[in-house]
Amino acid sequence: MKTRILTFTVACRAVALCVGGSILLALSARAELKWEQNVIELHPSVGDKQAVAHFKYQNTGTAPVHFKSVKASCGCTTTQTQTEVVNPGEKGEIVATFNIGDRTGQQLKTVTVQTDDPNPAQASTVLALKADITPALEIKPQVVYWQNGEEPKSKKISVKAAKEFPAKEITIKSNSQNFESKVEPGKPGEWTIEVTPKDTTHPIGTALLIQTDYPKNAPKSFYLNVVVTNPPQAPPALRPSAPAAPGIKAATPAAIPSVSPAAR
Amino acid sequence: MKFRVAREGLLLVALAALPAVGEGFYFRDRVSWQSPIPAAELVTVDQAKAWGDNAIWVDARPDDEFASDHVPGAFSLNEDHWGELLAQFLPNWSPQKKVVVYCSAESCNAARDVAKRLRDDAQIQNVFVLNGGWEEWVKRK
Repeated sequence: MKTRILTFTVACRAVALCVGGSILLALSARAELKWEQNVIELHPSVGDKQAVAHFKYQNTGTAPVHFKSVKASCGCTTTQTQTEVVNPGEKGEIVATFNIGDRTGQQLKTVTVQTDDPNPAQASTVLALKADITPALEIKPQVVYWQNGEEPKSKKISVKAAKEFPAKEITIKSNSQNFESKVEPGKPGEWTIEVTPKDTTHPIGTALLIQTDYPKNAPKSFYLNVVVTNPPQAPPALRPSAPAAPGIKAATPAAIPSVSPAAR
Repeated sequence: MKFRVAREGLLLVALAALPAVGEGFYFRDRVSWQSPIPAAELVTVDQAKAWGDNAIWVDARPDDEFASDHVPGAFSLNEDHWGELLAQFLPNWSPQKKVVVYCSAESCNAARDVAKRLRDDAQIQNVFVLNGGWEEWVKRK
């Protein structure tokens, strides 16, 4: 009996020693990457091509941290790490560059960082970049439709320049003979475009190129699409033998001059 | 008696809410994820393939990925050059067609964003996001 009690006591001590030792070891050699900010809000200016976020970190632990992967959620965002290993006490940053392109409105792009931190909760971190993109020109609507057979009446499109985009004049370019367009200036920085199709007897579409007089050395270009479509098809049950409707003939965009990279 | 029950009830509710408030405060910097795409706006590869010529495929991935490979007949339409690419896409679209938008994989958001813009900016109905994206298409082609 005494032997059993002794064995049990020794076993308990051994387990306690192991657990305690592990905890001590974990505490003494922990790796911890502390991020200054997980979410960064950016406010790019009108016309900016990129928005850059600097996610700063520091290894506040006592063991080195290795980056295993840094992945952006979107092909539009590139990331750059300064180093592969972050030693204890070391500071650094991951730079995320968001290429704005033709995006507008609220944007949320994420970067997932995987490290070799033994703590699963710390091993993966999601960093987020938020940006509110104001378009230089607000075109409403961006696409104007007429139905095939509809009376070829003119339709109006409103164009408004952003406050930070001091365009005084816009011009319209089109190689299509099927649509007529004219620009009427309104308040400063506001215009109304009137587009009229010559006829709506067949489906046709084209893109009108709106060009601003600002910036002077690299005027910006925007597209306004005007389309004559087939009327929406009746449900198949009502038209069992209806032939497939032809597509819209493209008058452009091949005819439209290509847009300078500055406008993208 | 009634007040006591009500008071105890309120106390229980407050206690239950406490961890949620704490979590909200502790994880205030965490990213709030976008809600999932409604099932009605998603389409599987098999369903989209079954639509045949009634479907028009839209590749929302960056230019280089589209250039590398894409669904046969798909149009490149990403937000890097939205205006220019939409102008190329629209003449090939007709209201009868179902638009199937895809990006790289399940985890990408580009298809959802392009689909939303097609609905909002171009007022196009019948726009669907391909479940699993290009990755799923490659598996099932």
